[in-house]
Amino acid sequence: MSVALTLERIDKTFVRPESGAREAVLRNFNLRVAPGELVAVIGPSGSGKSTLLNLIAGLTLPDAGTIDVRRTDGATPRLSVVFQQPRLLDWLDVETNVQLAADAAGVPRDAVARALEDVGLTAYAKAFPSMLSGGQRQRVAVARAFVIEPDIVLFDEPFSALDEITARKLRLLTQELWQTRPRTGILVTHNTQEAAFLADRVVTLGSGATRVVSDIAIDVTRPRSAEDLRLFEIHRRLLAGLT
Amino acid sequence: MTTATDELPRSLTAPRGNVHFIKRTGAVVGPPLLCVLLVAALWQTMASKLHSPLVPSLAEIGAEFARIALSGKLIPQIAATLERVALGFALAFVLAVVAGIAMGRVPWMRRFLEPAVLIGLTVPGLVWALLCVIWFGVSLANPIVAVALSAAPAIALTVAQGVRGVDADLVEMAYVYRFSRTVQLRRLWLPALAPHLLSGCRFGLSLSWKVIVLVEIFGMSSGVGYQLNSAFSSQNVAAVLAWTLSFGVVMAILEYGVLQSLERYFTRWRRESRV
Repeated sequence: MSVALTLERIDKTFVRPESGAREAVLRNFNLRVAPGELVAVIGPSGSGKSTLLNLIAGLTLPDAGTIDVRRTDGATPRLSVVFQQPRLLDWLDVETNVQLAADAAGVPRDAVARALEDVGLTAYAKAFPSMLSGGQRQRVAVARAFVIEPDIVLFDEPFSALDEITARKLRLLTQELWQTRPRTGILVTHNTQEAAFLADRVVTLGSGATRVVSDIAIDVTRPRSAEDLRLFEIHRRLLAGLT
Repeated sequence: MTTATDELPRSLTAPRGNVHFIKRTGAVVGPPLLCVLLVAALWQTMASKLHSPLVPSLAEIGAEFARIALSGKLIPQIAATLERVALGFALAFVLAVVAGIAMGRVPWMRRFLEPAVLIGLTVPGLVWALLCVIWFGVSLANPIVAVALSAAPAIALTVAQGVRGVDADLVEMAYVYRFSRTVQLRRLWLPALAPHLLSGCRFGLSLSWKVIVLVEIFGMSSGVGYQLNSAFSSQNVAAVLAWTLSFGVVMAILEYGVLQSLERYFTRWRRESRV
């Protein structure tokens, strides 16, 4: 089921606990993500990227404005998040970690085995997360995000804590999953190459109360190669927009 | 699509065989056994040097222990004390877990309950024992309330600290994936709190043992504390030590048989340090 995501005139202000000063992170912010579109959001630290995801995920509320996530059939949309850290329950094995999300979403149990197979972790189903490498743990997080058949997937700098080789493998995995089952998604990242490689569109935020500096469509069909010169050119433009 | 190509590494499979079992058992049982033997040897040396009825030898203590056991008093008296501790501790546990979670989750509740908990921690067990004897007389309420008042503050404080220590990232993850309240409690909160609950139980139980003896000395006509008082009145040091020893055995069974087993179960997922 395709889902469109619309943020209209969003305001969000935080109060600094140490000084009590109010800091506007988002002001009159607008964003529309079309059904099946993956939009990357890049920008300097403090530009409101993570706040944006927290607002969409319902982890924080906007001071003003509306966030509209609607399925065409009227049902409640399923949302999943791949966090920067895997956020696994360390006392449960890999399979149960994925299973809990599946159960909460009412997804059949056999989907768990498929999800683990998709991320190459079938052999680790009964292992505890503490026994896995950082990359494997993040694969579990990806499996958990996709097992619920989400309408919207939010990626919060999902591979930034990993070494480059592992991150590259996981980007390819994400591309495979996206190509097989396209969703509506937002990818927040500091990595312009990652944004260009994975997204359909890259929105660059400026510092201060958030404003959109650029909005670049990436017209390269999937599967993409990281060595594609067109992506390299987009990456160069994105970097130029940030500096 | 990526396929499962990685094999489970050897380190993920548990080592097997009798040798491993013997080594593991030895590593677990050896050190505490050595400690007990060392204390016993020191006591025996002291008793041999002093030749005083105030410091009976191990043989005399053992004989007194056997006499108590054969008289048929040992089990019923220990059972009476255990029952009182169990009831009082259960009451303390329920109250303290509720209070601890409230203190850990709601800042207002923390500020509201903190003085009561801190005062409760500083009041000596002897005071609770005396007050409960005065308030409740020779009834079951006396030891139950005294034990609960002694143990609850320590458990509540440990639980509150545990709740504040639960990873906020995991709570957010559970919210995003719409885990039900039951699943959150069973799969997130309780496992995350388990080490704190066990540590609170251990501390609370140690306080319970101390206060129950006092309550039984002052206000009961049965139980290990009452027997200790009787032995004290008749200047029978061997009997005092025999009853203390029996109490120690019960505590060791609880510690090694129950608490440590639970602790191993709840922390089995932790990777051990290689150094």
